[in-house]
Amino acid sequence: MQHEAVTILGGAALPVGKLQGVSEVGTQQLEHEVLARLVVDALHDAGLDKTDVGSMVFTLPRPYTQQKYFATFMANYLRLPCDGLVMEVMGNGMTPALALQAAVDQVRLGRTKVALALGVNFETGTPAPEHMMSSMRATGDVDFHAPFGFTPISWYAMDAMRYIHEFGSSREDLASIAVKNRHHAIENPIAQFRKPMTLDDVLAQRPIVDPLGLFEVPGRGDGAVCLVIAREDIAKSTGRPYTRFRGEGFFHEGAHQISEVPNDMIAFEAARIAGARAFKAAGINPDDIDLAEIYAPCTIVEVLVSEALGFCPRGQGAKQATEGETAIGGRIPICTSGGLLSRGHPAYVTALYSYFELLEQLRGRGGPRQVKNAELGLACTELGNYNAAMVHIMEAVA
Amino acid sequence: MTLDLIDLEQERAYPPRQSDFTKPFWDNLTRGIFTTTRCDSCNRPSFPPKPICPHCWTDQVSWIELEGAGTLYSKTTVHAGPAAFVRDLPYSVGIIDLDEGLRIAARIIGDVNIGDRVELVVLSYIDGPLYAAKRYTVRLTSSA
Repeated sequence: MQHEAVTILGGAALPVGKLQGVSEVGTQQLEHEVLARLVVDALHDAGLDKTDVGSMVFTLPRPYTQQKYFATFMANYLRLPCDGLVMEVMGNGMTPALALQAAVDQVRLGRTKVALALGVNFETGTPAPEHMMSSMRATGDVDFHAPFGFTPISWYAMDAMRYIHEFGSSREDLASIAVKNRHHAIENPIAQFRKPMTLDDVLAQRPIVDPLGLFEVPGRGDGAVCLVIAREDIAKSTGRPYTRFRGEGFFHEGAHQISEVPNDMIAFEAARIAGARAFKAAGINPDDIDLAEIYAPCTIVEVLVSEALGFCPRGQGAKQATEGETAIGGRIPICTSGGLLSRGHPAYVTALYSYFELLEQLRGRGGPRQVKNAELGLACTELGNYNAAMVHIMEAVA
Repeated sequence: MTLDLIDLEQERAYPPRQSDFTKPFWDNLTRGIFTTTRCDSCNRPSFPPKPICPHCWTDQVSWIELEGAGTLYSKTTVHAGPAAFVRDLPYSVGIIDLDEGLRIAARIIGDVNIGDRVELVVLSYIDGPLYAAKRYTVRLTSSA
């Protein structure tokens, strides 16, 4: 079946930060007010009107968001009748990518010509130890993993330990990823952590999950994003630059955190397969990609995904990062936004920030962090310990 | 092999639930026996024990006893944990490849490195058992 191509035409994103909490005069930021503002800003950025929008796919808010049934509440708050779906999507770290995919599919199905992929993640009002009581139940078997005290990032830490064991890498090599991404974030106005940082700064932090310290794991943040997904004829009619979906791939390996049948855990098979499918659909090779936004909550994850997607040879990802190959100006810039470690990680909307960064870069709006002549961008997202991965390849259309 | 039992004078931080189906696993564990299910059709073991074989989806499975020995695939030490586990910080967890071809995850006790031989032990809490892995100890005589 021949599809009309689908695009990301515009977007708006809140600077990531700690936004939950009550002020001295008893007021607080409310999720729906924040998101409604972004909807208006995103449509303005896209050059479209309210009446063009016919579907809204939301990421599920955190359980700490008081307003339940958030999608239908927002349909009322914005007084937006929709022919296409209005719904909330949930899939751990992949949540925002699934929302984006569902919005794209609404356009492809012909339910609407314009859909919004949007969401708000407010969580910093809940302390980390309490938050982990919930998140540990999402990243493991409640009866056969959680009782031992596995945390979401403990699985990535075990990836790191295994990587160092197998390939003779080091914590220092892995930590260079955090330094590189911080350097990128310094020039990103919506990044949460923008203070310059050295390798020594990273290595001096207290341990969180060995071998990873505080700056090698994600900080907690609140955020919100709205992206405008449009059929290409609509995008063209605006006369504005946009990005077109060129290829996509998904794979779930049928395992949750670990495979009960022993496998090569750090090969990130789901990313390899999803990536290969996206490259094939786009008719390109990894070498053709100009920049990549990779969902990597910890340094090691960016390394393993860069290898699984074919940007770096197996076992060389950390070394090549230390040599600047994945920095802006290098062979394949990865996480020009600053990534999860510095741009920030409001988990249920994090990947929407990844697509927003591709949109900005592919429209030449990256400012000091702009990748020169960026034409093809890749976003890779995941859930679990990369048990599932979703890859999108976007191309610039001026 | 009967697993070593380590008595702990506290309750489990986050106790696992039991179903009618998984109760035998926990009952056996209390006695130092590590069990799981194996498919009668394809003969592949599974862990955790399941009433449906995850490989061929038949419901004809049997309980088997595992040796409780394997190799440490990876590990980490957790320094920042969920509220219920703050009392244990720092603690180590890891992934163990059992000799029967099953990969499990559990607490790790003592000094052990990736690639080392490990054995499972029972952590006998006041309210019930959990399991952990420690460096493999060669047994010269049977304690039975």
